[in-house]
Amino acid sequence: MKTGERALVLLLLAACTGLPGCTTVAPWERGNLAKPHMALEPHPEQGAFREHIYRGREAASGGSTASGGGCGCY
Amino acid sequence: MSACAPRLAALRRVLGAVCRRLARCLAGSCRALPARSAQPHTPESASLRALTAAALALPGLAQMPAHAAEGDEAGFQYGHYKEGGRQLYNDGSRYDPIQVDNLFGNARVTLFDRWKFAFNYMQDTWSGATPVATAPLALGGNPPQLSGASPLILGNGTLLYDRQFNPYRFDFSTGEYRKDRRLVHTLASASPETRQQGIFSLGYEWDEAALDMGGGLSEEPDYHSAFFNVDGRWDLNQKRTTLNLGLSYTHSDIEAGLDPDASAYFDASAFRRQIDTVESTSGPPIQTLRGVRQDWATRFSLAQVLTKNSLLETGLSYTRSTGFQENPYKVVDFVFVDPAQTPIDIGVPGLPLLLMPQVQAVLEQRPDVRNQWSWDARYVHYVEGLNAALHLGYRFYHDDWGIDAHTFEVEWGQPLGRGWMITPRVRYYTQDAADFYRPYLLFRSAEPRMGTSDQIDLRRVPVKNYSSDHRLSAYGAVSGGVTISKAVGKAVHLEAGFEYYTHAGGLKLDGGGEASYADFDYYQFNAGLRVDLSAPLLSGDSGHDAHAGHGGYSGSLAPAGVMFDHMMHKAGAFMIGYRYMYSLQDGDMLRGTDPVGDAIIVANGCAQQACSLTPREMSMHMHMLDLMYAPADWLTLMLMPQFVSMEMGLRPLAGAPPDESDGHIHGGRLGHATGGVGDTGLYALARLFETPGHHLHLSLGLTAPTGDVGQKIHSGTEFIHYGMQLGSGTWDFRPSLTYTGYLNRWSWGGQLSGIKRLENRNESGFAFGDQFQSTAWGSYHVLDWLSASVRGVYTVQGAIRGEYNGLHSESGPMDFPASYGGHYWDVGFGISAVVPGGAFQGNRFGVEWLQPVEDDVNGYQLERTGSLSATWGLAF
Repeated sequence: MKTGERALVLLLLAACTGLPGCTTVAPWERGNLAKPHMALEPHPEQGAFREHIYRGREAASGGSTASGGGCGCY
Repeated sequence: MSACAPRLAALRRVLGAVCRRLARCLAGSCRALPARSAQPHTPESASLRALTAAALALPGLAQMPAHAAEGDEAGFQYGHYKEGGRQLYNDGSRYDPIQVDNLFGNARVTLFDRWKFAFNYMQDTWSGATPVATAPLALGGNPPQLSGASPLILGNGTLLYDRQFNPYRFDFSTGEYRKDRRLVHTLASASPETRQQGIFSLGYEWDEAALDMGGGLSEEPDYHSAFFNVDGRWDLNQKRTTLNLGLSYTHSDIEAGLDPDASAYFDASAFRRQIDTVESTSGPPIQTLRGVRQDWATRFSLAQVLTKNSLLETGLSYTRSTGFQENPYKVVDFVFVDPAQTPIDIGVPGLPLLLMPQVQAVLEQRPDVRNQWSWDARYVHYVEGLNAALHLGYRFYHDDWGIDAHTFEVEWGQPLGRGWMITPRVRYYTQDAADFYRPYLLFRSAEPRMGTSDQIDLRRVPVKNYSSDHRLSAYGAVSGGVTISKAVGKAVHLEAGFEYYTHAGGLKLDGGGEASYADFDYYQFNAGLRVDLSAPLLSGDSGHDAHAGHGGYSGSLAPAGVMFDHMMHKAGAFMIGYRYMYSLQDGDMLRGTDPVGDAIIVANGCAQQACSLTPREMSMHMHMLDLMYAPADWLTLMLMPQFVSMEMGLRPLAGAPPDESDGHIHGGRLGHATGGVGDTGLYALARLFETPGHHLHLSLGLTAPTGDVGQKIHSGTEFIHYGMQLGSGTWDFRPSLTYTGYLNRWSWGGQLSGIKRLENRNESGFAFGDQFQSTAWGSYHVLDWLSASVRGVYTVQGAIRGEYNGLHSESGPMDFPASYGGHYWDVGFGISAVVPGGAFQGNRFGVEWLQPVEDDVNGYQLERTGSLSATWGLAF
């Protein structure tokens, strides 16, 4: 399988693993999900700083709609 | 094939079932739950609001702190990045490795019921050395003794090859040649430079959807970007499922000043149509490389609550970049070894006949188009019993430059009680090399040249794109770090983080990474605070002293440019504030109070020698955090970290001798920039006297020399001009005495303040002069909550004592201690406001412009143009 096909299968698997989401999670059962450390990005400012550095040091920087300019030429 | 068939069929069945369920789920036909309560202040809805942020945050924007959390908030963060030294083998480097100081501030507020406005500001200042090329160690690219790194991209002329094209290195210590196939980076200093970026966004929220539009600018001397983005969010299925779609566009204009000291040694002919050349009277011609780059990016993602303890987010992104994507400061070494030449017999027994190469350095060339795809997934699981959160992340990236990359991340969020939380994390990243990446290019032929000149003919070189930027090489990277956070009360959240990162060819997945010469590591740390603007404010007048609330006129404040102007008046109160100051000097050159011509400066401005340069303009931005706490009614403690960035433009003096100093060119222009952490102030304010209408307090404090006083100019060898250092370098005593009074709509005040250097010399050999300042003001309440002020300021500052204890430029008056300090008179015009009610109740704002009336300077100095102060504060 080529890389692209492999990625597609992985993607489908990932997209479809959402099936347990159909199980009932009532609002009053979401207390754990609401805890701050359960946020997808619990430390957004720090996360942005880390991403900013990775962007200046790694080739795979694209692929996010987060806007921002700068050369990172150092 | 046949063995695969049953497995494929099974996979298809599983995928089919999964996707059917998912489709039903998205269509809302899963067993539905009662819709959540719309009551805004019940505990349940509060947790749901947090859930919305936690589980359904827009992923693309989750990286953008302005959108990070539900609720109105403001935040500030400082980060520091520092690389370790590069592997240079026996050749040392006199340059410090690269380091970056990063400042980040953001605010997010609700404008109207469903309208959200966010602003964030980011600033980077970097300095130090970075690789400009890669070459065989035998080329000798980094000898520490020679002055100026630029010519070394072509080496020291001793590189030889054998007939099998192995490089031979001349060992200066033994005087012998030996085979040495190692590669090494050629380092050059990157002069300090600052990038500033501001982003605005405006969003509207429906019950189950949101639309957000934003844009911003990023400015650095050689790179100007403008960008906008649109993002939409759609909640489905009682908010268990969220879809996001985002689009962004970035337009960048590049105007890179090619290092005039280096440009004679590399070939830029591939970009000749993009290079403007301006002859310079003070040195080699100044070349500016111009380019345009555009980036379109889109991202689609899905976030799904899986169970009451887990959620998943997955997304697909595509970015198309076109135009100038080179790094204009990187060159590629082309080494031509002509096998047809007559070989050299060194005459050493055992050494083969050797070939002499021709070496050229050429500006890197990358393709003009880059298509990038990525897929990512994040899974978050709540670990019952430990009250912890496990975060797993993966990202696959592919582009048509030939780079595939994988990123794996694991994070563990562990609350420790009393508001403390510790979050360790580990990350692994691996990438392939770009198709056109080569450490350097070895051609087994003679160098093709343009006619009889010694310029390379790139049309006859059999490669179109080439880069030796190690970011495009094959490598892996492992990093690990920890974040510690603490919630202080309901309003303030403190965070600090550390990360260590190591980049190595040997860490690449599947092997085959770049050799170890390119390995490097870095660490970064950061610290910040976040304020929940919706947290309960201190009742009444926000806890401020300084006659806030008198006569119904809340917040009659001192003008924005007056520091230490107010105290807290309730024990236990604290305040968070931000203070910004911008100052500009771009007037005439003065001697005393009068403008002075170039000829006089040349003759007298530089002690015993003739000046060659003089300042043209100087600007400074200062960001200060203002953290106050009142342990007692009569006492307020104050901590004030400062961050500065400065820029100085220079010009040659008419009739002056040429500048002999190395490195006054910065980004193709005469001048310099610096920036980073400034000095840190610690103060105690004590109330001395208080009656209705009159107030007097004393402030005693110290500033700690946290600002660097070892900043160098571009060459990396000489100290920069005194006024461009980031702090004083000495412990300074800063007392002040402040009186304020009011009557009806009028208020007034005065302050005496001073700076006494507690040391005669800082680590660089000098101390700035002591300072005394007196100021008085009057203000009038135009409205209940708004006052306008006028004030006068007189300042006297001594000249610098001592002088640099190391090499430093002596090109102009700004390099001489006698041309610092003087007597200054200013008039200020300001407005101040305290928001009396509504969503922003208690927020204090102030702006003041300080207009110089007269300068009476020591020595020769640039006339001041003015300064702007702006403040914000909120007490809890």
